[in-house]
Amino acid sequence: MLKLNNLSRIYQTDEVETLALNEVNIEIDKGEFDAIMGPSGCGKSTLLNIVGMLDNPSSGEYWFNNENIAGYNEAKLSDIRKKNIGFIFQNFNLIDELTVQENIELALLYHDVSASERKQRVAEVMDKVGIAHRAKHMPSQLSGGQQQRVAVARAVVGNQSMILADEPTGNLDSAHGQEVMQMLQKLNQEGTTIVMVTHSPAHADYARRTINLFDGQVVTENVKAA
Amino acid sequence: MYSNYLLIAWRNLLKKPLFSSINIVGLAIGLMSCILIMLFVRSEVGYDQWIPDSERVVRMHTAYTVPGRADLRTVRSAGKVMPAARDYLRNDIEAGVRMVSWGTTVRRNGEGFDDHVLFGEEDFFKVLDLPFAVGDAQSSFSKPNDLIVTEENALRYFGRTDVVGETLTICCFQGQPIELRITGVLKDLPDNTHLNISMLVYMDVALFSSFPGVLDTWNSLNVYTYFKLKPGVVLSELQERWNYWLNNESPYVENARDFSGDDSITQVTDIVKHKFMALHDIHLKAHADAGTMGDFTTLGDEDMVTTFAMVAVLILVIACINFMNLSTARAGQRAREVAMRKVLGASRMQVAIQFLIEAIGLVFLSMSLALVAVELVLPYYNQILNQNIAFNLLNDPALLVSLIAVVLVVGIGAGSYPAFVLSQYMPGHTLKASKSNDTAGSTKLRSALVVFQFAVSIGLLISTAVVYLQTQNANNMDLGYKKDQKLVLGVRVAGDNVESLQRQLENLPQVSSVVLSSEVPSQDNENNTMFTRPGVGDAEPVTELLNYHNMHFGFFEAYEVKPVAGRLFDEAFGSDLLQPATEETEGQGAVILNISAVKKLGYESAEQAVGSTLRADFSGGMTNFTVVGVINDIYFRSIKFDVRPSIYTNVPGRNRVATISYSGNPATAREAIEGVWKEVVPMEPIHLTDLNEMVASQYQQEIAQMRLFTAFAVLAILVSCLGLYGLAAFSAERRTKEIGVRKVMGASVRDIVLLLIW
Ligand SMILES: Nc1ncnc2c1ncn2[C@@H]1O[C@H](COP(=O)(O)OP(=O)(O)O)[C@@H](O)[C@H]1O
Ligand SMILES: [Mg+2]
Repeated sequence: MLKLNNLSRIYQTDEVETLALNEVNIEIDKGEFDAIMGPSGCGKSTLLNIVGMLDNPSSGEYWFNNENIAGYNEAKLSDIRKKNIGFIFQNFNLIDELTVQENIELALLYHDVSASERKQRVAEVMDKVGIAHRAKHMPSQLSGGQQQRVAVARAVVGNQSMILADEPTGNLDSAHGQEVMQMLQKLNQEGTTIVMVTHSPAHADYARRTINLFDGQVVTENVKAA
Repeated sequence: MYSNYLLIAWRNLLKKPLFSSINIVGLAIGLMSCILIMLFVRSEVGYDQWIPDSERVVRMHTAYTVPGRADLRTVRSAGKVMPAARDYLRNDIEAGVRMVSWGTTVRRNGEGFDDHVLFGEEDFFKVLDLPFAVGDAQSSFSKPNDLIVTEENALRYFGRTDVVGETLTICCFQGQPIELRITGVLKDLPDNTHLNISMLVYMDVALFSSFPGVLDTWNSLNVYTYFKLKPGVVLSELQERWNYWLNNESPYVENARDFSGDDSITQVTDIVKHKFMALHDIHLKAHADAGTMGDFTTLGDEDMVTTFAMVAVLILVIACINFMNLSTARAGQRAREVAMRKVLGASRMQVAIQFLIEAIGLVFLSMSLALVAVELVLPYYNQILNQNIAFNLLNDPALLVSLIAVVLVVGIGAGSYPAFVLSQYMPGHTLKASKSNDTAGSTKLRSALVVFQFAVSIGLLISTAVVYLQTQNANNMDLGYKKDQKLVLGVRVAGDNVESLQRQLENLPQVSSVVLSSEVPSQDNENNTMFTRPGVGDAEPVTELLNYHNMHFGFFEAYEVKPVAGRLFDEAFGSDLLQPATEETEGQGAVILNISAVKKLGYESAEQAVGSTLRADFSGGMTNFTVVGVINDIYFRSIKFDVRPSIYTNVPGRNRVATISYSGNPATAREAIEGVWKEVVPMEPIHLTDLNEMVASQYQQEIAQMRLFTAFAVLAILVSCLGLYGLAAFSAERRTKEIGVRKVMGASVRDIVLLLIW
């Protein structure tokens, strides 16, 4: 599904140059469930952002569905992204002023979907993540786990085939963390590709492959036997 | 999609009600001020444009500017100029009209009403096509003495407007009351005209030509002259052609040199200037061009209008800066929303449109508030300005369009930071960081704008203070005379009864003195005549055009003006009253000079002036005036103007007002005086005014101006403060977490306050 070839990302700030990713080579197939691990600052988020087309690599190739999209402009990336990729963040990134339902619907606003179909799909996905009874609530009225479930619903409501999750359980207690992981697992079983950054070995265990990053480089890849 | 934008905008508003109201109300105040001022400015600028073909109508002003003499400027012309111009400029001029305006009394049912008559020549309506309520220009204005009244006047005298065929008695024409038949009724003129017409009479040109100095003169400036030009005539070219005539073909050519007595004069237009002024310009520009002398109505003040327009722009700028600052600060908090929308597939364009719609919506809200406020405030505003400005948005496409433009411009300005700056960031970074995205650049810009805003507000405040101090100064300044406890009575209409009136008034117990004069302070005149100080020995004679007033015995005493040299007029000398010239002998009289006149006439001191003789062509012949005294300069006119060199004469029959000094309660004094008036001059309305009020009324415009300036400056500062408060509250809120951490670390309240204000 996607392939990174010698991909690097350098951050230029006023004084320092940070090599956040250093000649990374990774291939991810459809239906995989990957965990990315590594110490803080090793480039996990940077990698995820580039995979998610929220950021551009400094050099190297990024093949997505047999298309080298490295260097594509924002509008093009945005177009590919919204059809294919959903995001989940550690801090949920729900919009405070919108209700649960509206937050999920937001993901369909920029797709070409009629209002009635939007309503229907939002209702379906809320059922699926078990948040329907909170549809009219504001994010601030929900627990962290519930908020993350809303975020998951938002990530998949557009029928995205891949979910990128940056420490999705980082702000959650272990029970809620567990819940979210089971939800991701279920999505994976239904065919969604999942790439997840995590610090928790237990949560990494849900994945079939673990990629270990250190200082911007892939150091090991462990694939669990099926 | 759009409903989502509006929804989120609305929720954002409600989420921070204080912040939102500061933002919206601040802008609304600014918009309201701006609209109010612009309504005034527009009304001032739009004078007389309602008159049909007004862009082709001009009036001729005259200035005599002889070197070494006071300039004489007026909006009027000499009587012979109009026919000459109409003939010489026949390719340019379609029609011309001369008018003469007279104050008069209308008699009706044994009562007298003050009124004024405008005598206009036959082509009046060809030049000024004023709309009729009853009748029309052909039939109602066709023969001498046809009288046309305005609806208002018809109502005043008859209680109805259908008054064609009725007659009015006017007093007096050549000493005789005359009856005029009404032949038409004019619609009332709107407020925005410099014309002041109550009764319009078809001028009997043959009759008027027999009066000296009206129609049949090249020099006396007593008629208003208006022309309608042919389409396409360029004013400056017309002026040039007329100047050519003045310099080469006019009767002024021969005597220009004699008239000026100055060899440096090479052409007529050096000393005689005729200026064609466009009708549209009269309200604002005639004052600067031709002075206050003799126009129909109080004119506008171009400087004031310009200043107000500038204030309006400044207030709008302040309010917009404010609005943009607050919106921008607030948008910084929404970086996360922007990023998230982009993650979900929003294009930059879509994000930009969202924020622009939101900002424009907010501005629209402010605008609606402002419009309601304008509606509520307008009556008071009109009262202060003494105006009658209408505000009717739906019938006013120009205003509507400009307001919409303002909404769009301010909205786009306020929305531009989130729309164009926030939207361009790649979302990845923003989303990771939980803090809001507020770049150093935007903060710096914001500070600069706040500084600018306050600089402007403070500037406004200072101007207000200056205007305020000036008017205070005008009210409290030593004018050179005492103006308290004095009532001024118009006595011209009393005719032969003046003396008995004076005697009876002096007998009132409340009244201490009644003195006569041609004018009292605050009443300006343009009586100028040439006074010559004959040369003595080697000295050259000095001739100056000087302004003169007529003061009867006791005037200066009543006003507590003391002579600095010589004495005041005194009946006991027997020689102070003018002995007019006869065919055989020159006239004799006495004058008092003010210090400025002493200097102007080249005396070395006041003492030197006393006892000397001045010669002038006065009251029908050469007259020798002995200078009996010198007084300090007293402010006859507004302190806006310098005191003119003035000569005070004492001529019987030139007195038009009486100054009554009284003691005790003004109301009682007034009542007693009115009683005497009713007995002595029963047919005439009384004109009795407090001198203090007359003097103060000279500054009415300044006072109105000051009030408005103060109001608008206060509003501007209020808006600035609201904005600053909003920004401060905003930054405090943004830093609550930091404050919390600092407090945990042991910071005192004082440290926190320091942190916030630094
Ligand atoms: N926007 C940025 N500008 C400059 N340096 C950055 C930026 N984002 C990340 N970095 C740096 O790049 C490196 C990798 O960061 P990141 O991918 O966030 O690490 P991780 O998610 O593994 O903790 C770090 O050294 C970080 O400081
Ligand atoms: Mg990270």
